[in-house]
Amino acid sequence: MHRIIKRKLLRSARISSLYIIVAGIGFIIIFPMFFLFSFSFMSDYETYSEWPKPLVPSFRAEFMIDKDAEGYHLHIYNKADGAFAAFGPLFFTRAGEDLENLQKFIKRQANCAITPSGIGEQLDVVDKEGRVEFTLKKEFLANYILFFQVTRDAPAAVMRSLMVAGFTILISLSIGGMAGYAFARYYFKGKNLLKLSVLFVRMFPAVTIAIPMIIILARMGLADQPLGLSFVYSVGQISMNIWITASVFMAIPVSFEEAAMIFGTNRVGAFWHITLPLALPGLAACAMYSFIGSWNEVISAVVLTQFNPTFPVVVYKSLVGTQGQINLVTAGSVAQALPAIIFTLIIRKYILQMWGGVRV
Amino acid sequence: MASLNLQTILDKETRKKMIPYMLIAPVIIYYFLFWIFPVLNAIIESFKSIEGVWTLGNYIHIFKDPVFYRALLNTAFLVFFSVTIEFILAFGLALLINTKFKGSSFFLFLAMIPMALPAVAVGAMWSSGLATRGWMNSVLMTFKIVDDAGKIIFLAGGNIASMWLIILIDAWQVIPFVMIILLAGLQGIGAESREAGYIFGGTKFQVLRKITIPMLKPTITTAMILRIISAIQIWLIIVMLFGFNRIPVLLEQVVLNVDELGSDFFERIGMALSVIVALIVSAAAILYLKVSGSFEKEAEK
Repeated sequence: MHRIIKRKLLRSARISSLYIIVAGIGFIIIFPMFFLFSFSFMSDYETYSEWPKPLVPSFRAEFMIDKDAEGYHLHIYNKADGAFAAFGPLFFTRAGEDLENLQKFIKRQANCAITPSGIGEQLDVVDKEGRVEFTLKKEFLANYILFFQVTRDAPAAVMRSLMVAGFTILISLSIGGMAGYAFARYYFKGKNLLKLSVLFVRMFPAVTIAIPMIIILARMGLADQPLGLSFVYSVGQISMNIWITASVFMAIPVSFEEAAMIFGTNRVGAFWHITLPLALPGLAACAMYSFIGSWNEVISAVVLTQFNPTFPVVVYKSLVGTQGQINLVTAGSVAQALPAIIFTLIIRKYILQMWGGVRV
Repeated sequence: MASLNLQTILDKETRKKMIPYMLIAPVIIYYFLFWIFPVLNAIIESFKSIEGVWTLGNYIHIFKDPVFYRALLNTAFLVFFSVTIEFILAFGLALLINTKFKGSSFFLFLAMIPMALPAVAVGAMWSSGLATRGWMNSVLMTFKIVDDAGKIIFLAGGNIASMWLIILIDAWQVIPFVMIILLAGLQGIGAESREAGYIFGGTKFQVLRKITIPMLKPTITTAMILRIISAIQIWLIIVMLFGFNRIPVLLEQVVLNVDELGSDFFERIGMALSVIVALIVSAAAILYLKVSGSFEKEAEK
């Protein structure tokens, strides 16, 4: 009796310590990403004038206007200081030009929309009571909208990036998978050397290959085109896919194929009906790596594209241009990360089959 | 009759022998077109001066540059520690997830996100965090762990401190990548062989050492080789955090020469540097394969 209780206690202690470890790792993973996400919704004012910076973006901003002999003064509520702080011009008047400038300033700095006449209404209250406080709703996606406005080419670039990724998966998985199968299943002369030399391909920095590739692609009529770029990306991806698919196929016993062949199918049939379904999760993982590798690649694309940049190039270049505008930078980064994360989510199902779904 | 049979068998044998070569042929053709061509071109150019005269000048220029030796040391440091740490943590994580607890599928998805993040996003994330007025210090101040005067200046550390920072950041992103490869391998082994180990009285540690790790060897080799190759080529995060030339590593120097400085002269320097990098990576990979005994294993077969 005593022993059973002891064992149960031990078991629950083991399970809870497992979950504590898992929760800790999950926290480490989420923690920095949370701030990337959080910053992408913050206004310039929140990012640069509040210290310590807010950890979560606010949905609204509070303003205060008062007046003295010079004219009106605008203030904004600074959450970190817990008080109103001077905001915008030293003073302003009711002149139409002043109000328009103010509208632009509030929009740019606080991501809030208010019309000049709206400001005028608030000024009426100031005239009566000496001061007014009002709250405006923040335009939550303002950074994203601004980012796509600044980079006008973005939608077309997204399409091109998807095309590049698609071609890269197609090329690298078919060519790489075939070779991976050969390395896993056959013994032949020069196997070791070949498998190793395939890796050498990744050892030469890709940036440097990109430069002579400009000329080669131009001769093929593929310069500055998605297909041309995917030819370059496939170089690295093929070698990785060979190694991954080789270990995927190696994990599937040959005896399965041999059994199928005894029952009357040939090697191709055995591969098609037995090995391929079993290998599918691993191949899906391969496709995912290829997608991510291609979607996120910047530096070769910078060298190899001119008028038809990929999305990462657009993001990279706009980021380099807006040094310091960290809220815009993060918005662009999140926009670029989203497709890769969604793709991961979709492909996850297949990767999950790796354990549980398929018993090898 | 008998000879005819022999003939068909022979034909079948030779055909069988041809199959692997046929399967590999596309790769070789592909690499001939899209790799050997440009690489040969780059190697040749690296031995030529701007005027097109054969010279060792580009290499001499590199070997005379003190930054090159710093980059070499930094890269070696980075590769050794990041690959070791990442492998140990990823292996632990893979063993953990392989126990298949409730919510493990969600955890796997979570673990895969950092891998999917673009380098630019990772750079933005950490540079906004590690800046003196970044979110790291904001969190510390919001929870009253430090006050304004006690802000931690993350990015002004010395060379070694900065290298550790880079190793941590790289580990954060790359561990899931290694973990998934290892996990796939663990799945392939299946529970039966491990259970057999337990039945014969093995402890957890013994089963891990005597059964799991040896059976996982091909997967481990794959993961390690891929990591060694890409760890040597870390550069974007370093440039986004520290800018060019502050914490020099080999590939950052290549990009600096090829893309940033970009003139004909520096392009050639970059090409020469690439040749050196390729040689070093190859040497490191072969050294690993030798030490881990992967060559002998294949030869036994």
